[in-house]
Amino acid sequence: MSRRGLRGALIAAAVGSILVPLARTTESAKQFTVQQRRWWAFQRIVKPTVPQVKNKAWLTNDIDAFILARLEEKKLAPAPSADRVTLIRRATLDLTGLLPSPEEVQAFVSDTSQAAFEKVVDRLLASPRYGERWARHWLDLARYADSEGFKSDETRPNIWRYRDYVIDAFNQDKPYARFIKEQIAGDELYPDDPAALVATGFNRHFPDESNARNLLQRRQEILNDITDTVGAVFMGMTFGCARCHDHKYDPILQKDYYSLQAFFANTRIEDHWVLDSGSHRKQWEQQKANWEEKTKDIRAEMHRLVQSEIEKDYKEAFDKFPPEIQDAITTQGDQRTPIQWQMYHKAKPQLEASEQEAGTHLKAQAKERWGELKSELAKFDAVKPAPEPLAQAMIDNGRESPKTYVLAVGVYDAHQQEVQPGFLSILDPAPAKFSPPENKNSTGRRSALAQWLASADNPLTARVMANRIWHYHFGQGVVGTPSDFGVMGDRPTNQPLLDYLTATFVEDGWSIKKMHRLIMLSSTYRQSAKYNVEAAKMDPEDRLFWRYSRHRLEGEAIRDTTLQVSGRLNLKMGGPGVFPPLPPGVETRGGWKKDEDPSEAERRSVYVFVRRNTRYPMFQVFDMPDTHESCPRRNATVTGPQALELLNNEVVLEWARSLAGRVLNDAGLTAEAQIDRAWRFVYSRPASNEERKDAAEFLERQTRILEMRLAKSEKLVVPDGLPPGVDPARAAALVDLCHMLVNSNEFLYVN
Amino acid sequence: MEEKLRHHWAVASRREFFTRAGSGLAGIALASLLRSDGLVASTNIPDPLAPKKPHHGPTAKSIIWLFMEGGPSHLDLFDPKPRLMELAGQPMPASFGRPITAMGTSNNTLMPSRRTFKQYGESGIWVSDWYPNIAEHVDDLAVVRSVWADGLNHVGSVCQMNTGSILAGRPAMGAWTTYGLGSANRNLPSFVILLDAQEPVGGPKNWSSGFLPATYQGTQFRQGDTPILHLKSPLGTTVEQQRSKIDFLKRLNERFSTQNPDDTELEARIAAYELAYQMQAAAPEAVDTSKESEATKKLYGLDEPDTAVFGANCLLARRLVERGVRFVELYAGSGSGWDAHSKIEENHSKRCRASDKPIAGLLADLKSRGMLQDTLVIWGGEFGRTPFNEKGDGRDHNPWGFTMWMAGGGVKGGHYVGTTDEIGLRAVDRPCHVHDIHATILWLLGLDHVSLTYMHNGRAERPTEVYGSVIQELTA
Repeated sequence: MSRRGLRGALIAAAVGSILVPLARTTESAKQFTVQQRRWWAFQRIVKPTVPQVKNKAWLTNDIDAFILARLEEKKLAPAPSADRVTLIRRATLDLTGLLPSPEEVQAFVSDTSQAAFEKVVDRLLASPRYGERWARHWLDLARYADSEGFKSDETRPNIWRYRDYVIDAFNQDKPYARFIKEQIAGDELYPDDPAALVATGFNRHFPDESNARNLLQRRQEILNDITDTVGAVFMGMTFGCARCHDHKYDPILQKDYYSLQAFFANTRIEDHWVLDSGSHRKQWEQQKANWEEKTKDIRAEMHRLVQSEIEKDYKEAFDKFPPEIQDAITTQGDQRTPIQWQMYHKAKPQLEASEQEAGTHLKAQAKERWGELKSELAKFDAVKPAPEPLAQAMIDNGRESPKTYVLAVGVYDAHQQEVQPGFLSILDPAPAKFSPPENKNSTGRRSALAQWLASADNPLTARVMANRIWHYHFGQGVVGTPSDFGVMGDRPTNQPLLDYLTATFVEDGWSIKKMHRLIMLSSTYRQSAKYNVEAAKMDPEDRLFWRYSRHRLEGEAIRDTTLQVSGRLNLKMGGPGVFPPLPPGVETRGGWKKDEDPSEAERRSVYVFVRRNTRYPMFQVFDMPDTHESCPRRNATVTGPQALELLNNEVVLEWARSLAGRVLNDAGLTAEAQIDRAWRFVYSRPASNEERKDAAEFLERQTRILEMRLAKSEKLVVPDGLPPGVDPARAAALVDLCHMLVNSNEFLYVN
Repeated sequence: MEEKLRHHWAVASRREFFTRAGSGLAGIALASLLRSDGLVASTNIPDPLAPKKPHHGPTAKSIIWLFMEGGPSHLDLFDPKPRLMELAGQPMPASFGRPITAMGTSNNTLMPSRRTFKQYGESGIWVSDWYPNIAEHVDDLAVVRSVWADGLNHVGSVCQMNTGSILAGRPAMGAWTTYGLGSANRNLPSFVILLDAQEPVGGPKNWSSGFLPATYQGTQFRQGDTPILHLKSPLGTTVEQQRSKIDFLKRLNERFSTQNPDDTELEARIAAYELAYQMQAAAPEAVDTSKESEATKKLYGLDEPDTAVFGANCLLARRLVERGVRFVELYAGSGSGWDAHSKIEENHSKRCRASDKPIAGLLADLKSRGMLQDTLVIWGGEFGRTPFNEKGDGRDHNPWGFTMWMAGGGVKGGHYVGTTDEIGLRAVDRPCHVHDIHATILWLLGLDHVSLTYMHNGRAERPTEVYGSVIQELTA
């Protein structure tokens, strides 16, 4: 195809000036500079010796020695320990994304044993709420969404199993090495483990266009997405920068980009992988055979009715494809080349019109008959087996892969030299060794990559993950750019610490929970957020961790904790995404279902359906990533619309109403008791005298304002089932008070 | 250079944001509007929406982008092709180069326009009889007949016209503009989207801030007196009640800040609530057109059912620009309204009738108020349409050569840039890619598309990726 204009010119320039025969690539592998080879992130991980420090009394574990050594170097002292209330709130929000109950706070505050905090951490790590919280971090990295994106943004009906897989993996403390292997090559490495197949959904999360015509280009865009994501998430390397040319700063060759891509060159979507096996499956098949037998005639007639429609739809769809795609479709299966297979699988969903769909096109008599047959068929629904549990997975299309080429300026059809699957040249210049696994219609390519990534010898993988864990605990990593360990990223502010964490992580069998424990039990983690003028002068960003840096909760955690204090949070786990009602006026293409059970709308945020083109507005306004690419670190903006969201969204007021109801129920009628209870729910602490006075005054003033509304017979927002003797204006004032508490900074920040 | 480029690539704090943005912005005015309004006492709060100095002297302060979504036919509006008449009913000669099209129509026969074209004004610019009112303004229009784009389908093409890329995830031009220039009125969003029908294809990602902080994303104004989501106090809350609540909240927050005096983010959040409260008053005022004169309303076609909906949006656009909104994007036929794969006569007659008078009214109104000189008005779709027919009486998508025009904001009126080939399939003379259009718009606003950068994934990203150049011929 001839291309004109800008891009054509660019390709010509690239081909002309940097025409790269294979020789150049091997040569450039040798051309890395000493500086590049000595880059900190590429060095083998050696567990450093624990440094000596002066203030030994401060040390709880080795982490503290690494932190304190750096601080003492700068003549700085760590912040004093946080008080117990702050600490249990911090730990609970950090590990579970929820608040401690007033009872849990009380138990911790009055526990005088040495191991009091350890007990809290262990309790939280054992809670299923932990997986729900930490899965959300991983879903940001995985660019997880429940829909396709692009124009139609269709639902991916079974992709939620991947979300549940991640929650489960965190909850059972799946070793990170295994977690990687399952997501990259679970189908090849663990063919008998359904969870491992679901895990391959990681590479299935690319946005996709259901009516693309230029499928070669579409395939290339998908491969780019996978390459960029795998490079960033597992290696902390910005591979994307090497798509059009060698990386300008890091030693990532353009060839390396396509070598990494080559591991995925033969992958395709498998959206109908049946997860059921064994006796249950047999039973299901029997049921199905039974239903098919009973409905044979009806279905045959239906099929006859729509046959010509289906053929017409097929032809219409077929005619829209360019000739090379049409060839791929019409070529006999045994004659298709691997790339034709790829095209065939991409084209197939556009060609297959369902009978149900075709039935809606029928007219007159045929339409009438179709309707009759449909209701006939429905009579057999009682004996019809339930739909099978399906995974949306990524598998290989066969034992032979299409070839992969370096592409000039990244343009899909501007092939340059062919490349083989391979790793980062600077780490391992040899081509990857792989062979198709036995009894499996697969190349084995991804297994080779998975093994390489998940190896303890890989200097990047464990480092990147250890840093991510630290990052999510502290709001910033030892390396401030968790998916960029290259030159353009941040340097580690304390490399011995990071190497210590990394080595320990691998020693401990890649256990993420053990890392949490190690980090959280340190004195470093238990510091308060107290400001220190001297330290702030020297290190305003707190990169040396001289205090705990306060940070805002994510939108999901704001919703979850507000629901929690309102007593309405529904803790049901797993299953398809849920649809809390959208604010009036917000519409989506692709649809937003109505949950039949209203309590479904009050489940944890991790279960809220992620429509790629319309994120749930409350999350979007609080910086939920846009799901079109991996997000290693969320923005934390402060905006007017965020204030409007919490101030004026009726849903939030409704939650405040329930919170007020709980307060009334627990505390009775005196203002003092109500204020105290509300403070304990929302802030986990009693109100100070000044706060109590201020809140009591607010209640009085607000009651007067609301009495005026009452006098005009306006309906006030009051808790359900007000006990007799409670003045509705006063109850509504309490709702307003609760509403402002959940809007306040102390509630919205992890301190 | 390298040291200069070393910034964080995800903003975790406002403080960090300024380190990252540093290299891309010409300088950040520290005296923000916030402070000048007396909302914040402290002097050290970095404010991502503070007005910023442009890179060079701008000729446009605001943009009004009239987005004809679905792809209007340049062949039937601004780019008459006599040769198409001669080739009517014949297959396209191979010399024009057969493209891959969305609907596989490139083997279909050529279809001439059924419209009557006339030259207008002193410039003699051609306009068809579908746009008689706009035609009266041709001497103010710079008509680019050689725009080209990369996408075949709507979603990628609408996305590219907004963000530069056919793949979602990059910031929209309105977001870049707000990032580059800050806000001129903190009580209103700086980047506003107005729809006349359904959501455009791709939805809100077309006005997304992409990898820029959410502060810069566009805000869709909804119909009625509460244009912004959650603008109204909930469930009958009165002004006095709301004020009292916010005052109480302020005391809660200030007490918390006293214990943490160093934390500017906490203070910014206090200010955000004040802004929200002011927005509650400012936004309904901005959308309330009841005080506009009857003559003005008539000018925009508010008195006729066919033109009332889009006319109201055009009038609203003027009111927003008057109040300092920098970037207003109005979709005409939102939800692919212009997508005439069949029955183009019927489809385009309706679309043109709905948009002709309102657009002409907008141009006239801006001019009479002296606003056209610093308001850039842009007209166009995500692509044009093919010279060969689809289904006998329609046209397929054409991203290879189509028409857009600009007016005001420093653009030289009454002339053409570029041409398409003899049948209007491809841009041949002075092809202008969407990136060039973007570079030009930013240039008129005083921003250099190469210097306006933001660190993301280890790269200094800019609005035009690695492409684009300013179309110098457009400027006066």
